[in-house]
Amino acid sequence: MADGKIVAGFIAPHPPHLVYAENPPQNEPRSEGGWEQLRWAYERARKSLDALKPDVLLVHSPHWQTLVGHHFLGVEKLSGKSVDPIFPNLFRYNFDLNVDVALAEACCAEAKAMGLEAKMMRNPGFRVDYGTITTLHMIRPQWDIPVVGISANNSPYYLTLDEGVDEMIKLGEATRRAIEASGKRAVLLCSNTFSHWHFHEEPALPEDMTKEHPQSYPGYKWDMRIIELLRRGEVDEVMRLFPQWVEEAFAEVKSGAFPWMLSAMGFPRTPAELHGYGTVIGTGNAVMEWNLESAGA
Amino acid sequence: MAIVSAFLVTGSPLPYLRPENPPWAPLAAAFKAASAALAASKPDVLLVYSTQWIAVLDELWQVRAHSKGVHVDENWYEFGDLPFDIKADVALATACVASCATIGVSAKPVDYEDFPIDTGTIVADSLLNPGRVPLVIAANNVYHDFAKTEALAAMAAATADAQGKRVAVVAVGGLSGAYFDHSIDIATDHIRHEADDAANKAFLAALTQGSTAARAAVTDYAGKTKADFGMKHLAWVLGATGGFSGATIHGYGPTYGAGATVAEFKL
Repeated sequence: MADGKIVAGFIAPHPPHLVYAENPPQNEPRSEGGWEQLRWAYERARKSLDALKPDVLLVHSPHWQTLVGHHFLGVEKLSGKSVDPIFPNLFRYNFDLNVDVALAEACCAEAKAMGLEAKMMRNPGFRVDYGTITTLHMIRPQWDIPVVGISANNSPYYLTLDEGVDEMIKLGEATRRAIEASGKRAVLLCSNTFSHWHFHEEPALPEDMTKEHPQSYPGYKWDMRIIELLRRGEVDEVMRLFPQWVEEAFAEVKSGAFPWMLSAMGFPRTPAELHGYGTVIGTGNAVMEWNLESAGA
Repeated sequence: MAIVSAFLVTGSPLPYLRPENPPWAPLAAAFKAASAALAASKPDVLLVYSTQWIAVLDELWQVRAHSKGVHVDENWYEFGDLPFDIKADVALATACVASCATIGVSAKPVDYEDFPIDTGTIVADSLLNPGRVPLVIAANNVYHDFAKTEALAAMAAATADAQGKRVAVVAVGGLSGAYFDHSIDIATDHIRHEADDAANKAFLAALTQGSTAARAAVTDYAGKTKADFGMKHLAWVLGATGGFSGATIHGYGPTYGAGATVAEFKL
């Protein structure tokens, strides 16, 4: 099979608060709502994803951190309860997902061919991280599209940021090659928050939106600057600014998903669509889309 | 204060899951010696702090009376699963949550079925605590520095003392932080950098000289070796014990390139 392609990429952040606020049946805690602007942003993104009719969703999550290389979920069906170790009061989610093992294996093989350390996770008892689950739930709550789950190797933290970004660019290229050879229509999901400065204490009622605002004004300004650049298609400028952005906004994009996704999409110079922006415990979150089909890529 | 024993141990599952592997066998054997010492101290409760239980909002304390299940480590899943069966000292943990306010720390209890008890706590409990003495487990809030971690531990020890309990202090974390970034033959595992190996040995020697020497060494050591969370787990020992006169290093070795030890402190 050939002629597979990446039809879109989304920045799809994973605060578990969004799942909590939505009250889906899979999540045990109940809420009064909250974070509506971001949830409405995801509603728009869901419609767009639905129209794209992808065969597979690929998600790179910073909350599956691996020390030795880049890991891929490699078990066809994974299920269980994912309790967020940081926000157990908000996220206790019964998940049941199908993995596109063939594509995951192909991505892994391509990564190895490019000189990266990569491996398949074959343990059926593996508990999928809450970042992966939150992003997937928020973008496609029906859970009817197979997924490829990719870990965040710690190279951007242990090595220099430049070395880490180089690894992620290679991983993106490997991902693209595997997708093209698969014949499948793929959507990429960058599970990242932008500015990551956050409050250190939780309100008594977590969804009390009178307590929600940017924790850091410089962080907020970085969010707006990056969003505006991406809306204008200026990805080269964003990547030029990347080290400064990561440093000054404490941006979660350091974990690698952002350069991975842009690299896989060939660093598209077409404008990204902003579906919405909002803060969660003070962090900055944007839901954005590059629709490569409508852009003619 | 009723501190009857104190330990600093690795939270890596590798010596637990593959004790027969030659580079990891000394650590597995060291756990047996430490476990015997812990049992001989006859504690009522283990006061546990693991660098692998991360918190970012508030200080979290495990208050679920009984946690049981099977954990799969996110890195080392290929070496096997980690069954656990942990009992908590709910009265003491709940009192610690309340007492956090006295040191200006916001705290919360954690009482949820299927909560993902971290690998380090499971390894320490499995290898040190076959008698299943109840635990009080505190999270590693990443925004707490060495001094605040000491204050937390001191508060927890004082709270246990007020309840008349005999306490074993268990700090779970690693030494030098450089893992191999590629797959290795585990039979050849060794400390990744010679400089880290030397620094680890010098630091362990400082521990054997007592808490004054340990305090003098820890900041420089942690900076040079990218030590696990700046050795905040040592702060847990220092805070809970109020200081120690020396240490017995039951074992030292590599865990996929990073440094690990099993140490028992002289009180």
